[in-house]
Amino acid sequence: MNYQEILEKLKSKINIIEAKEDLGILNATIDKKSIRDAVIYLKNELNFDHLNFLTAIDWIANLQIEVIYRFYSYQTKDKVVLRVKLERTKPEIETISDLFKTANWHEREVYEMFGVKFLNHPDLRKLLLPDGIEMPLRKDFTCEDFEKKPEF
Amino acid sequence: MGLMDGVDPVLVKKIPGGQIIISSLEWAINTARKNSIWTVTFGLRCCAIEMMAIAAAKYDWARFGLEVPAASPRRADMMIVAGTVVKKMVPVIKRLYEQMPEPKYVIAMGSCAISGGPFKYDTYSVVKGVDKIIPVDVYVPGCPPRPEALFEGIMKLQDKIMKQRLIKEAK
Repeated sequence: MNYQEILEKLKSKINIIEAKEDLGILNATIDKKSIRDAVIYLKNELNFDHLNFLTAIDWIANLQIEVIYRFYSYQTKDKVVLRVKLERTKPEIETISDLFKTANWHEREVYEMFGVKFLNHPDLRKLLLPDGIEMPLRKDFTCEDFEKKPEF
Repeated sequence: MGLMDGVDPVLVKKIPGGQIIISSLEWAINTARKNSIWTVTFGLRCCAIEMMAIAAAKYDWARFGLEVPAASPRRADMMIVAGTVVKKMVPVIKRLYEQMPEPKYVIAMGSCAISGGPFKYDTYSVVKGVDKIIPVDVYVPGCPPRPEALFEGIMKLQDKIMKQRLIKEAK
């Protein structure tokens, strides 16, 4: 399947807000309510059997946090990226850790790094960070010994 | 007095009732100490590779008496902190340092252990220099330092050990 075919198939099931091509890979921005439907459809119908990674970007100017899911299919060698934009003040999204087991720790990492709350996650604790460091990958992060890089 | 060969005359101090014995005992103890530095090899990142290189045959730190990487910090005299210290590692370093018996020495090897190095700015996890948590005797700059640079640091530490006094000088 190429980029267009995946897009057409996804479009028939899920409302896609924005779709673009990046290095031949479909980047589909979808609504946060339809994330589970989209992942179930990708997994069961289109044979995307592997979650490459799950991460987030802090768009501080738009007051948004974008959660990014990248899927891969071992059968068809296809790749697809799903993007979901969340409010920065209260980022919440449904977990997919019951569909892809690897999402469990990825979601915990996004939780500790960006403060995105994954609803119905079985064990939403910090993954690696020690206490006292909260949401360090947000652009406005600061702590007591934090130094901004000087302008040269 | 073959033992006294090479004794710096500065070491012979005027102390009432036995200057020669005190001074040469000091010299003997310091000489023994500087030539048998057992090491906690605290390799944290890429500097550890250079540290391993000086332990291996080509550079061979046994020539300087540092033969033994101590299996336990309780038997060690020196800690080489080689690499980036992150905040989660701080309790471990402190604990190992406190387990070492006195006298103990620390070499901060590489930019990261000195100041945080390339990770100094915009970081949430890196400690900006291991001297923020434990006292450091010798700093070896470099990213990573060459094995020769670490030898230079070790020889500086040996010079420092040779200047140690057993008792405080009377004023």
